[in-house]
Amino acid sequence: MMMEMLMLAADAWGALEPVRSAITSASIAWASDDEGGSGWLLLAGPASGLAVYWGLYRYYRNTDKSHNFEQETHVESQPITGGDVKVDEVRGTKRTSIPGANGRRFRDRVQRVQ
Amino acid sequence: MTDIRDTSPEPPVEPRPDPLQAHPDQAVPNSAAANQAQPDLTQSGQAQPGDPFAAPSGPETIATQNERLTDGVNRCPKCGSTDIRLRASTGMLVCEFCRYEWSEEQIDPLISGEGSLSDLTGTIIGSGAADIDPAVAGVLTMKCAGCGSEVVVNTAEAMSSRCHWCRHVLTVNDQVPNGAVPDAVLPFAVPHEQAVASIRAFAAKRRTFAHRRFRAEFTPENVVGVYMPYMVVDGNVGADVTGYGEVKTREYTRGTGDDRETYYDADVYQVHRHVDFTVDDLTIESSAERADMNTLVNTNNIINTILPFDTKNAVKWNANYLTGFTSERRDQDVSAIQPVLEHQLLSIARSEVTSTISGYDRGVRWETERLEVRGTRWVSMYLPVWLYSYYHEERGRAMVHYIAVNGRTGETMGSVPVSKGRLLVAALTVGTFVEAIAIGILVATA
Repeated sequence: MMMEMLMLAADAWGALEPVRSAITSASIAWASDDEGGSGWLLLAGPASGLAVYWGLYRYYRNTDKSHNFEQETHVESQPITGGDVKVDEVRGTKRTSIPGANGRRFRDRVQRVQ
Repeated sequence: MTDIRDTSPEPPVEPRPDPLQAHPDQAVPNSAAANQAQPDLTQSGQAQPGDPFAAPSGPETIATQNERLTDGVNRCPKCGSTDIRLRASTGMLVCEFCRYEWSEEQIDPLISGEGSLSDLTGTIIGSGAADIDPAVAGVLTMKCAGCGSEVVVNTAEAMSSRCHWCRHVLTVNDQVPNGAVPDAVLPFAVPHEQAVASIRAFAAKRRTFAHRRFRAEFTPENVVGVYMPYMVVDGNVGADVTGYGEVKTREYTRGTGDDRETYYDADVYQVHRHVDFTVDDLTIESSAERADMNTLVNTNNIINTILPFDTKNAVKWNANYLTGFTSERRDQDVSAIQPVLEHQLLSIARSEVTSTISGYDRGVRWETERLEVRGTRWVSMYLPVWLYSYYHEERGRAMVHYIAVNGRTGETMGSVPVSKGRLLVAALTVGTFVEAIAIGILVATA
């Protein structure tokens, strides 16, 4: 699938014939590479293209912008109270963070209780 | 602020009022329109105990009507002329005839009074923020005090009109419950030329990939000064959040070579936080159209982004502040905006407790949240925005792109229609270049 996308991109850009042949050579190199080797490098091109498109689109359209009321409103809070109780242990997980971490996603609403 | 996690893993919970107890003043009855229809507004709209004819208990109302002004002819205090407008450079009203300058008094001392926000209880609203009565027409007929003729003003479009017989300017100043006259207005301080320059600079930085038609038709001189309707809310609240947090206890690897993988051990904590706080002048859109910020179909988020305003400097209503500008009318009541307010208060609460969860290096997952609104104070306000609008239609989909300038601070934000073709070419160029490097590395190491 990845190879198809790359070939399509190179086709659309007919002037880049050397790139096509290089992709073909690389695909052979990737095929000969062991699983988990450096073949993932071929994703760098599409990923950077996508990042450029999305980054420029957002810079022009600013669809992600809104009033940062959490920081820009005058708030006076009392000392924060609460509790922390150890309830479980996790052993031998490959996850780098707690599932569903939302400590910094202030606007994601969770279950509202009365 | 106390970092509970860092100081003690299980801190004692400080005594506090029972958060589960419902507050009797939290509800927002919709009987304010009845109060509002009375021209003589009182300091309190609440019923007196023992009065059999009293209306059901409603929100307390603060009378904000500018008693010095009425609908119709309002003259310059010095010479009597009705040709009055705002001078943005000074923020003062200026008489076009004798050049006398003056200003209406600030609204904040009247609204805030002496008390602290932490003492705020119940629901208090400015009389200009009362519920809108659909039966009250937006089109007003005023009798000209100069010549006696009748002049019609459509408050959806303007708050003043010139008498076509005697040339006096008639202004709308009575707080009829149609959302047209707010409690206060924050006058423009950024002049037209500065707004044009800001919009031009904003668009100049986004020229390369802008749509060809936008580049050809871009005329920032057409920027319009608009007074947008907002609710400015003070609040006294408490909030609780509960969830789970993880602290890493061990990090190690298993396997060798390419099969080498990293594993983690962690302690799981049940986390609870409570915060009491007050917010001052939280600003929320009070027009349903402007509150809709679906970026797939509109660019209203642009206008939202240029908040906040220095709302403490807002003054009592005088329609002459709007002369030469346009305005949009409020169409949302307090009860309709309440859910938005609660969402923002919960977001602020979550933001406030963040400093106390820094010890959870594997993050926190909040699962429940609770909000207790002890008191709120609502003031309707017109806030100044310089707005450049560009209507763009592409493949049958139309959208109005705004570039907005905060009429007080000059903060600028905008949406510029893009040429997707050129954007695609740029993305393909970069992608191909990076891919060529990647392929080179692969071929070299094969």
